[in-house]
Order: sequence, then structure tokens, then C-alpha cells
Amino acid sequence: MSTIFSIRDVTVRFGGLLALNRFSMDVAQGAIHALIGPNGAGKSTVFNCVSRFCTPVSGDIVFDGKSLIALPPHGVVALGIARTFQNIEQLYRMTVLENVLVGLTSRAPLYFPFGPGAARARAERQAVADAEEVLAQTGLLPYRDMLAGNLDFGHQKLLDLSRALAAKPRLLLLDEPAAGLRNREISHVDAILVDLARRRGITIVLVEHVMQLVMSVADTVTVLSFGEKIAEGVPAAIRSDANVIEAYLGREATHA
Amino acid sequence: MHGSPPLRHLLPLGLLIAAGFVLPQFLPEYFLYIANTLMVYLILAIGLDILLGWSGQFAFAHIAFYGIGIYGTALLNMRLGVPFVLGMPLAAAAAAAIGFLIAIPATRLRAVYLALATFAFAECAQWVYRTWDSVTKGPDGLRISAPDIFGYVVGTDKRALPVIAIILALVLAATLYLGRSKLGRSLCAIRDSEHVAAASGIDVKRTKVIAFTISAFYAGVAGGTYTLFQSFIHPDGLGVWTLVLVLSMIVVGGSGTLPGVVLGVVLLGLLPEALRAAPRGLLVWQEFAYGLILTLAIMFMPRGIWGLFNRRTRARRKPALSVEAPAPARALQHQSP
Repeated sequence: MSTIFSIRDVTVRFGGLLALNRFSMDVAQGAIHALIGPNGAGKSTVFNCVSRFCTPVSGDIVFDGKSLIALPPHGVVALGIARTFQNIEQLYRMTVLENVLVGLTSRAPLYFPFGPGAARARAERQAVADAEEVLAQTGLLPYRDMLAGNLDFGHQKLLDLSRALAAKPRLLLLDEPAAGLRNREISHVDAILVDLARRRGITIVLVEHVMQLVMSVADTVTVLSFGEKIAEGVPAAIRSDANVIEAYLGREATHA
Repeated sequence: MHGSPPLRHLLPLGLLIAAGFVLPQFLPEYFLYIANTLMVYLILAIGLDILLGWSGQFAFAHIAFYGIGIYGTALLNMRLGVPFVLGMPLAAAAAAAIGFLIAIPATRLRAVYLALATFAFAECAQWVYRTWDSVTKGPDGLRISAPDIFGYVVGTDKRALPVIAIILALVLAATLYLGRSKLGRSLCAIRDSEHVAAASGIDVKRTKVIAFTISAFYAGVAGGTYTLFQSFIHPDGLGVWTLVLVLSMIVVGGSGTLPGVVLGVVLLGLLPEALRAAPRGLLVWQEFAYGLILTLAIMFMPRGIWGLFNRRTRARRKPALSVEAPAPARALQHQSP
């Protein structure tokens, strides 16, 4: 499998704190690549660098041969990279459908917004059809006209994912999609991820603390601790890696 | 269809225009004056709400753009002989252009800093209207001539009302369309979460600048419309008091919702008339009443009066919302190995 996305020697400082220290990671086309590590290891910082909310002091991030470093946040989406958020951020005062329509922004055409017109009718018909297709995939179609803020936690997580999927990404960054979910909901997320990667060929980078999910879906696991990569490999190898056990999984994991 | 306002939202606009032609035949001039004033306030309030309620930008330069609309339309007409049908859009475009220029530095600021900076701009603008004697006649005010629309001389409340009703109907229609457009959704998205908006491909900074520009254009239109039924313009109405009034209308009615803003403008706009009709002496409490109403509204109904009644803004959980995986997702789960 060829590498589609790579993070090369990225260093990020927040004042005196070295959040990421020459971190590198290569993600294979079509893979589910998990990024794990204890709290504060720098996982979300990696995502924030990719979506250009924070800028590394050195290093490069390359997707499909193009560097992302010089792009604005909205430019990253246009290349085909979408993300979800760890603490569900939602467009709370907009409906479920409108949230997904916002997710379509990068690929929906512009038209004159203050009046009727053929371009508008065409663009909106297409957008609503696309949005409903995504909602049907994630199972949120019955909640189409509810306000996002009125959904329960599990459905808000799914809406975050739906909004990201609406951009038709080639690379999807998922920041703790299973955090706070019940077992049954986790297996639901598991099924969706496998479907996205295997059937639709979307490359996924997954930050997650729920080991059950990571071990079940990931092709490769990268482990971060205090801003540095301490291990990388297939889930089985990571499970028995001495460094990882020491830094992160703890004693209990050796019995698992 | 989702992208266009439904007919039941557009039909009342036809009624508004019809009322604009019929009412002047029956109502006394004083009522027509109140109706005209409310309609201008409504255009002004909708413009401010696009910035405040839709886009979440707490900017208060609005009243300055209203002034550009008023003085621009009047002066273009008096000094250069530009007719209203051309002068009003030109003045609104000038307001929008200045709104655009202000937005470029202003959108770098957030929250209270944005509020203070834009408020300072509005104060500066009022100072200009007050002191630029050679153009605005300063604090003496400016007597303006009656606009003429293709030979139809406006000037009085009775003759202005149908024209203002048409302008308001166009503004409302444009706003209804904007609310169901890609741009309208982008404005609301940056209000709810700038991170989600940016991660969805929205250029947050550019969208804020667009919001400022649209908002300023609406204020310019409101200003131009004001010259239709006033024979005298004066800088005193272009200060903090008018701004607070329009702000109260939005907050009390329900910011971010068109029906809420309409409700707020009508209720607070009629308040002085109610106080005037009440026993003598109550009118002096007008400003106190506005302050009290605004405070109570913010404390007890942050979504405004409309928010109390509207299904969309009321937090409600349907019993149907279980945490169980929805049916299509379950099906998908069974297919996967």
C-alpha cells in the first residue's frame, strides 16, 4: 500500500511546552491508522496541525503530494481532508440537515443568495440529496429536522461524523469517536469505520482511548507519549510492546 | 424545497404590499407615520440581526451605516439631482463599501473588543454628521426636499407608505432567501462554532467580512427609506439611543429569527405610543421602560419572545430518541464481517 498522508518531523511548541517533538507518521492509502497515547501526549495537536488551527515551528505535513503547511483551515477541506472533534462541537442552533449541508460547503457551488434562480434550485436540490444520503448512511435521517443541540450525546457524535463525511473526504481524521459511548454504540462506530475504509476506500486516522475499538479496527497503531513517537506497528505488536505498556497501557494490559 | 422559502412565507409579503396601498386610504396620517417608522426600524433591525443574531458578531457600527444611507440618499438628491430610485441604492452601496472596509480590521477582534471598536466607529460617524457643517448642516439639521419616484412625489406619510411597504417586502424576501442559502448557513455556522465552520471548508474571515457588508447595506437601505417620509434630518437620531433601541428590539423579539425581529420591532416600537395613551406623565419613563424590558428579556428569555413559542429553538426531547443504533446503521453492522 502506498503512503497517501505523511507527517514529517513536526515540532510544535506552546510557550515552554514541547507539544510535539519531531513527530513523523506515514499513513497508507485506505488504511485505518490509530494514533494513541496517554492524555496530553499530543494526539489532538497532531489533528490541529493538519486542520491548520495550529502551526508547527518546523516540519511538514503532506497529503497526496501536496504540503498543507501554507494552506488556511478551509483550504485543507478542499483537498479532501475532513475531521471530527473530540469535545463534540456542533452547530447547535441549526438542524441536523443544516449541519450536514454546512459539511458540504467545500464542494457545493456558489449562487446568488438573495433571490430565486435556476442555479440556486439546482445547487440546493443536489445538496439536500447528498446530505440525506449521508444521513441515511449514519442512521440519522429520522432526526433530519431536529436541532443539533437537542440530540443526545451518541447521536451528536454521529452528526459530527456525518458532517465530516458530507465533504466526501479521502482522508478522515476522527478525534475520539467512541469516547463516552456505550458498548453497543461503540460496535456501531466500529461497523461504520470498517465500512468507510474497506468499502469506500476512505483513509482514516483515528485518535482513540477506547482500546476495544482501536485493537479491532486499526491496521496500524502509532503511540505518542509526551510529544514523541514511542512505538508503531500492528495492534498485536503494540499490545505487547514494553515501551507502550510502561507509558500507557499499564500492568493490566499484559493480562489482556 | 429546502433551498427556497415556502410560499406560505412569501405570501404575507404580498399582503404587506397590498396593505401598503389600502391602509393610507383609511388611517389618519399619524398612524401612517407610526407604520412608516416601524417599517424603517424593521429594515434596520433585520440588518443588525444578520450580523448579531445570525453571524454572532457583536458589532455596533450599524447606526453609522444608517446615517450614511440617510445623508447619502438626501445629499445625492439635493446636491447632484440623483433620483431616489438610483440614490438610495447608491447610498446603500456606499454604506456597504464602508462596512466592508471597517470589517477588514474589525474581524480580527472578538467579543467585547469588537463591540467597543465598532461602537467607537459609530460615535466617530455621529461626530462627523454633527460637525461637518458644510455638508450636513451639523446640529441644525438638514431640510430635505420630497423625493420623486418616476414622477410620483412622495413627501407625505400617506404617499410614502406604499413605497416603503414595497421596499420592506423586497428586503424581507431577500432575507428569507438568504436564510435558506449556502451563504446564510455559513453565517449561522460561524456563530455556532468557528472551528466546525473552518473544518467544513468555510472561510471564516471572509464570511465575517461578507456579514458586515450585507448588514451595512441593509442599514443603508433603511436610511434611504427614512428620507421618504421625513422632511428634516438630524444627527441626534444617529447615536447610542437609537442603537440601544434597535438592539432591544432584536433581543426582546428573538435574535437570529426573522419572526422574532418583526415581533420585537412592533412591540417596542409601539411602546412609546402605549405610554402616550396611558395616564399623563408615563411617557417620561420611556427610556426606563426600555432598559427594564431589555434587562428582563436577557435574564428570563435569552431566545426572546419568539423563542418561547417556537418549536425550533425550544429544547425538547422526543421519547423516540433512544441511544440504540438507528435501523440503517444496524443493517450496516450486520453486513460487515
